[in-house]
Amino acid sequence: MSKLLIDVGSTYFKVCQQSGINQYFRDFNKDIFDDLLNKCGDIFSNYAKEDIYICSSANGGLSTLIIGLTNSFSLKFAKNIAFNSGINIIDTILYHKIDEAKAPGELIDVVILVGGIDGIANVFDEKLFHFLRNVHYNNIVYVGTKQDAMFLSENIQELKVLGNIITEKLHVNGGELKEYLTNLYQADIVGKEDIKHLYAITANQIYSTPYIVNRSLPLIDANFDVVNPFIVVDIGGATTDIHYSRDLVRDNIVSESGFDRLVFKKLGVYKSRETLIFAAKNNEFVYELLAYLNVTENILEEESEKALRILMQLSIFLVLYKVSRLHPLYVTLHLEQLKTVVLTGGITKVLSYEEAESIMQFFYKKVLGLHAIPNIVMDYEYAIWTLGMQNDTASRS
Amino acid sequence: MKVVTGVVGNDIHVVANRLIDISLQARGFEVFNLGVNTSLEEFIDAVVETDADILLISSLNGEAEGWCRDLQFLRSEYNLREDVIFVIGGNLAVGEANQDDIIPKYRSYGFDLVFHQVDLNTGLDELERYVKERA
Ligand code: B12
Repeated sequence: MSKLLIDVGSTYFKVCQQSGINQYFRDFNKDIFDDLLNKCGDIFSNYAKEDIYICSSANGGLSTLIIGLTNSFSLKFAKNIAFNSGINIIDTILYHKIDEAKAPGELIDVVILVGGIDGIANVFDEKLFHFLRNVHYNNIVYVGTKQDAMFLSENIQELKVLGNIITEKLHVNGGELKEYLTNLYQADIVGKEDIKHLYAITANQIYSTPYIVNRSLPLIDANFDVVNPFIVVDIGGATTDIHYSRDLVRDNIVSESGFDRLVFKKLGVYKSRETLIFAAKNNEFVYELLAYLNVTENILEEESEKALRILMQLSIFLVLYKVSRLHPLYVTLHLEQLKTVVLTGGITKVLSYEEAESIMQFFYKKVLGLHAIPNIVMDYEYAIWTLGMQNDTASRS
Repeated sequence: MKVVTGVVGNDIHVVANRLIDISLQARGFEVFNLGVNTSLEEFIDAVVETDADILLISSLNGEAEGWCRDLQFLRSEYNLREDVIFVIGGNLAVGEANQDDIIPKYRSYGFDLVFHQVDLNTGLDELERYVKERA
């Protein structure tokens, strides 16, 4: 019996059967379950609960605030692990500047505390407790030097203590923290009322879509015309994700999977359209870019099909810009070594190959000063996520 | 004693770095080797994370000056322990240069010991003497 794969996005449902993939625009007046049943109820009746697999990116994910001792080790390692667990980083705070730091206004799902190799003590003090009094959070986890764990546990309620993410040789050891964050994320998805109902139609665990996509990456080159190193840019309604080969980064992190992921929470083309436009208007290349695309700034205020295509081109540009050497705040990818860009998500239903190519040409020429661009692969069927799910079904059966 | 070491800036000369790592360990130091291509901020961050006693920077390609000028600034920025010992050695200028010019210059950047084109063992002997005197 074949499987039915379902991806619940913030804008679309995608349903994959042997016969192909269909997309359904979501009705935001209905809850997810009713909407899905309404649109695809007939299909479900053909499958047993055991053969239906669901992943979801509809809930936007968890948020974290990271407090660490230094940029090069504590914060860098924790950021990397959080990104790879699918968590959105709201802010990072360098511990020696905590006095001047502002507590985030929003509720934080998990605060991560880190600093020092095992063997050193008294890294943290009263300043930390003072700061935490102004932070609203649901969970707090400590992954720094063993010697401070007791002191922190005595002073911070419900502090979860895990193994140090900084090894005695100053390398990263992400295992325990990654597992903890992934479980939190998973629990969050399962706990969402909307998602809970979906267990009425599946007997399998519901995963987050970014987790599934990350798991698909090692399988991509067998299924697409992709050459390493590559990046996958997933431009969705609310967020834009970029998954990249570790070969494109030079830093002191050794990761087990070979792939990393960055989430740009506010660069989606529907739900976060306003912030996308804001980011675009503040980019130094935007006017040149609009001129290159033969449009004026007014297009950003329009609601037309044409405006949507321009927005999508802008979001490709902005994502690449943010991971380029011009923007050192995020990771810097060596884009000049990039061989393939895979575009996936809602974008492939709207943009043509030529439109994607033209924006890549602009980026490579203007920002990197290069004439050749990487090979572009359009995942028109939005099939990438199905690889990670099929992998799951294969390993179980 | 804990020592953080590595090669500063865009410098990829790795041979001396390996020798330094081995020699320091043989002399009983606990070594944190950041390898080649290390920025000054990474060095200071490593001293903070390990609570190291000594930072020993090496530079071979002649570009150390540009990378090390901000030492005092970073040092105060992080409220580092007062007694951390800062050492630099290798080829500290481009081409021919006079010891009498180089040593005061690097001292003014905040280095306690400066070894321009000094053999490794001679330098490390002096470091150990310096550590003993300070104790
Ligand atoms: C091998 C080599 C290379 C190899 C490096 C391979 C590698 N990954 O290690 C390659 C070909 C890549 C290379 C490239 C370059 N190199 Co080169 N290279 C050398 C060479 C021939 C030997 C270096 C070596 O390994 N020696 C063996 C080790 C054990 O000795 P050492 O490095 O001198 O270290 C000793 C001491 O300096 C001391 N020491 C070092 N650090 C410290 C620290 C302390 C605290 C103490 C006490 C002592 C100490 O201890 C060591 C043992 O005694 C030297 C010339 C030479 N004969 O020294 C040039 C030399 C270092 N290179 C030089 C230059 C200019 C370059 C390039 C800029 C050339 C170019 N134009 O592209 C590039 C720079 C690349 C970069 N980004 O860093 C110059 C530097 C000139 C200067 N400072 O004024 C040198 C001196 C050649 C010269 N005479 O012009 N190089």
